[in-house]
Amino acid sequence: MGARSSGAESMEPRALLLTQKPEPMALFAFFQTILLLVSLSLRTCQSEVLSEPLPLTPESLDVSINSAQRCLHLQWRVHSLAYHQELKMVFQIEISRINTSNVIWVDYYSTTVKWNQVLHWSWESELPLECATHFVRIRSRVDDARVPEPRFWSNWSSWKEVNEQNSLGHKASSVFPVDKLVEEGSNVTICYISRSHQNNVSCYLDGVRMHVEQLDPNVSAFHVNNVAFVRETGTNIFCEMDPKDDAGTVLFVSKVLEEPKDFSCETQDFKTLHCTWDPGSDTSLVRKQPYQSYTLFESFSGEKRLCEHKNWCDWQIAQDSQEMYNFTLVAENYLRKRSVNILFNLTHRVRPMTPKVFFKNISATNATMTWRVHSTGNHRTLLCQIELHGEGKVIQQHNASIKVNGEYLLSELEPDTQYMARVHCGDANHFWKWSEWSGENFTTLEAAPSEAPDVWRDVKSELGNRTVTLFWKPLSKSHANGKIRFYNVIVENLDKPSELEPVPIPAPANHTKLALDQCSYRIHVRANNSVGTSPASVIVISGDPGNQVEEERVNVTADGFSLSWKPQSGDVTGYVVEWCDRPQDGSCDLQWENLGPNTTSTVISSDAFRPGVRYNFRIYGISTKRIAYLLEQKTGYSQELAPLVNPQVVMSNLTSHSFALSWKDYPTETQRSFIRGYHVYLKPKEGQCHPGFEKAALSDNSVCCKYKIDKPEQKTFVVENLQPESIYEFFVTPFTSVGEGPLDAFTKVTTPDEHSHLLIRIILPTVFCVVLIMIVCYLNSQWMKEKCYPDIPDPYKSSVLSLIKSKENPHLTIMSVKDCIPDAIEVINKPEGSKIQFSGTRNSLTETEITKPAYLYLLPAEKNYSGPGPCICFENFTYNQAASNSGSCGHVPVPPTAPSQRGLLTSLENLLKALEKNYMNSQGEIPAGETTLNYVSQLASPMSGDKDSLPTDPPVPALCSEYKTQMAIPLGLASPPLSENSSVSSVTLLDQGDHHH
Amino acid sequence: MAATVTQQPQKLVLLTGDSWGMLACLCTVLWHLPAVPALNRTGDPGPGPSIQKTYDLTRYLEHQLRSLAGTYLNYLGPPFNEPDFNPPRLGAETLPRATVNLDVWQNLSDKLRLTQNYEAYSHLLCYLRGLNRQAATAELRRSLAHFCTSLQGLLGSIAGVMAALGYPLPQPLPGTEPTWSPDPAHSDFLQKMDDFWLLKELQTWLWRSAKDFNRLKKKMQPPAAAVTLRLEAHGF
Repeated sequence: MGARSSGAESMEPRALLLTQKPEPMALFAFFQTILLLVSLSLRTCQSEVLSEPLPLTPESLDVSINSAQRCLHLQWRVHSLAYHQELKMVFQIEISRINTSNVIWVDYYSTTVKWNQVLHWSWESELPLECATHFVRIRSRVDDARVPEPRFWSNWSSWKEVNEQNSLGHKASSVFPVDKLVEEGSNVTICYISRSHQNNVSCYLDGVRMHVEQLDPNVSAFHVNNVAFVRETGTNIFCEMDPKDDAGTVLFVSKVLEEPKDFSCETQDFKTLHCTWDPGSDTSLVRKQPYQSYTLFESFSGEKRLCEHKNWCDWQIAQDSQEMYNFTLVAENYLRKRSVNILFNLTHRVRPMTPKVFFKNISATNATMTWRVHSTGNHRTLLCQIELHGEGKVIQQHNASIKVNGEYLLSELEPDTQYMARVHCGDANHFWKWSEWSGENFTTLEAAPSEAPDVWRDVKSELGNRTVTLFWKPLSKSHANGKIRFYNVIVENLDKPSELEPVPIPAPANHTKLALDQCSYRIHVRANNSVGTSPASVIVISGDPGNQVEEERVNVTADGFSLSWKPQSGDVTGYVVEWCDRPQDGSCDLQWENLGPNTTSTVISSDAFRPGVRYNFRIYGISTKRIAYLLEQKTGYSQELAPLVNPQVVMSNLTSHSFALSWKDYPTETQRSFIRGYHVYLKPKEGQCHPGFEKAALSDNSVCCKYKIDKPEQKTFVVENLQPESIYEFFVTPFTSVGEGPLDAFTKVTTPDEHSHLLIRIILPTVFCVVLIMIVCYLNSQWMKEKCYPDIPDPYKSSVLSLIKSKENPHLTIMSVKDCIPDAIEVINKPEGSKIQFSGTRNSLTETEITKPAYLYLLPAEKNYSGPGPCICFENFTYNQAASNSGSCGHVPVPPTAPSQRGLLTSLENLLKALEKNYMNSQGEIPAGETTLNYVSQLASPMSGDKDSLPTDPPVPALCSEYKTQMAIPLGLASPPLSENSSVSSVTLLDQGDHHH
Repeated sequence: MAATVTQQPQKLVLLTGDSWGMLACLCTVLWHLPAVPALNRTGDPGPGPSIQKTYDLTRYLEHQLRSLAGTYLNYLGPPFNEPDFNPPRLGAETLPRATVNLDVWQNLSDKLRLTQNYEAYSHLLCYLRGLNRQAATAELRRSLAHFCTSLQGLLGSIAGVMAALGYPLPQPLPGTEPTWSPDPAHSDFLQKMDDFWLLKELQTWLWRSAKDFNRLKKKMQPPAAAVTLRLEAHGF
């Protein structure tokens, strides 16, 4: 809000004129002043006396309105001034709003007033004038030094009412200002006028409710500071109240017009000046303000051009070759103007036209570039820059100075390579700007490959034949010098020189297989493109199968496998490290790396390396004869992983105190890390671990005993110090540097009873022996029969009998057994004895020959009977255990006093019986007094015995056969228990001498 | 007070980007394209297919307008894009009113019903083209032009129905070509209000037309043999 005035600023005090014009007007002026002062003094006296207002009161006050500018324009006169009179005066202006008492503005306006002059004064209202009635009044006071004090204010003029609300028309309500255009950052006051009294007024600025101040019952207003641009359709202001009486307006907030930036002009052809600039913000508003306009003005020529485009304009250069130009670019919208100026010499603003580029004489390594720049007038010298791009990078940069046509030889190019060469030029004398780049692609011609392919081999021997797979790496682009069409492989037998015939293998093959015998071969491989062939790569496959080397472990670093080897003295021309990228899936994917003769270490890395996979590296030395011989073999993991499986454990040798565990080795390929040993876990029976074991917690938090086997090659383990008849659980897992195998289920084992093995130890051998004896006996049954129970000879069938009968006595006959009358009965009491006693008994046999046995003697009834006549004596002979215990049917020495006794014979049955008895009575557990039956067997014929084995047998008459009646004697009839000695008497001896004599 | 047939939507629904609905609408239209010759096989099917096609087109335009109105009212800014904005119909007196007394609507003859539709869309199309000329953004101009083309199609379709029924097209009086140019006496706010009412009236007209053509369709129902399968597009 403010005020401005116009009118008497140029007037000068009359007193000043007087001092400047002394003659002759000075006299006239002097009188005039005197007259004025007298007149004033008289009026002052009159006013004081009459109390009337001063005659210099502002009159004819008129107030007009400019609603769009929110301005009140005041104009008035001071009629009381004399003709040509000028007086310095001060005017006080008061402005009230709504009613006269509400003064909102007081202002003072000083000026020199002339006679009959119309004075003007303006005031800009903050509030739209449509919002309220305004009242204006004015008064004045002389403020001229020529008028002496005191000076009094005139009376106020009457209030002038200014009411723009009439513009509301028929509408019920309105919001002001209507469609106001302001710049961003302005402050705006909005009012809302309604016909009826307002209740609950709400006003929204773009949807945001504003704080509203009620000016009177029908008018509300709010103030917006620093308004912002929202959209090109304007910011909507909408007010509503009770009763419903909505109204709105649009406040168009324009962006602030910016000064054009980067304004410059240039020419390419001296015909047109092309001027460009950056326009900055778009200040256009829909239906309110178009896009800002741009006008180009040239001051030397005075020409002007309205630009059609936002950011450029062409200016036609006049034919008279104007050199200097002073351009002003004016940007303008409804709210403001901005301008920018440049002054330049036309020849200093020359930007050459874009050159046209051609290539000629393109070879494998050179190309000639030519270009032409269309005339820039007067054949000006141009400076041109040439750039050669390869693979997206600038690889060469050159400068050339030309007039119109340029030529440059691009050299040191790579064969079969696409390049892009481009050129731009600028004025050499007054450089302004480079022209646009102009470039073309070109490709150099092919050349023969420059390097031999990198070749390696894999040799597999089978049944005397060798399959050699040759591998080669594709040549790098810089070495291939073109597209490789095929590889020529020549195999030369070193042992049997023959014609060499190359075998072409079409690209992009990278290997070939050769079937070779045991001879040595030299293989040449060459790469070929359309132009020529590469140097040969030579490799020799020796007939010698090569040496075997021990495998070592390789170190792994963050960079890869760190390999090192011992330097080879002599004729090593290089080394090759070979490995498989994918050993895990069997495809191998053979890789190799060539290293120089002075290299003894390298680091192998590959994206194909995976954790938990064992990689084998073989280091070969290459001799001067191009023979590869294995130097070292290394193995390792890029990253070791814990084992995934545990070994299959077999349990054996289970005893009551121990058992043995054994397992097999893993295949190397499936190992995920180096096995450093094994852990044997044993669940303790009573919480105590066995010696050598230590307590360990498993991953399932259970506690058990662990034995660590440090040697990976040890794959057996004996668990000892166990208790019989107990259950143990064991589990074996490998351990590595990164952990042990998975926790598997424990295997249960129960230790057997302590004695069972003893029984097995005894019973098995015994049974074995018995069976052996039975087998032996069975095999020698004939011999046994002859020895132990020979057939009883039938006297009737005896040949002796027939012989006697025929030669001596034909009346001889054979006595029948039943005809015999026994003359003695022997009753034997079975003695009790132990096995030990048998040996004693046996010894006592000889003794009994001397001592008289205690037996019952029955003398024959015919005591006197004697004679040489045929005497057939049958004597009972009773076996005893002593006889059977002799272990065989051996011959017991018979006392000479018992000639009839042919020896002690036992049967196999008796032997077995004795054995059984012996076993049963081994503890001497036969109860005292037990009696048994003794069987008295028939005595075998002495003829069936082994005569040689019976040297002590007394001579027996050939015709005398003895037979002893077999009798069973009840043990109850036996005599009272005998002493140990008496038991010997079980052997019955017949004292022949007593009998026969 | 008599009930009106067109229960005026209380607000313009500003749902945009209902691509599934759009797709279903297109499917509906496409579905009916082969249906027309199929009906013709039985001889002259009468105006039935044309009415059905016109009905479907009104439904499609109704959906299309929702998207367009959403964009345009956002372009005008608040309060015009607020869902509960319901200003008085101040400056839009020249717009053809879709609302009509229910009894009057029910007693409309077919000819008058079709004529009112034709005249309304003729006017609305002119206004809409004027709106398009004033639009500031290229994207909005494209959307408006596309909608105008569709509306032109609807007008042609209505003309087809009228021709099929033997009704003459209403001839505009010379020099009374309606235009939608900014009234210098109008404040920009009132201009925006007019734009708002144009879109709102258009929506109401499309809603009323759907009812009109549904009523006509039932009235002109051909024999059962000529009934076509029809996909109703719901949920817009």
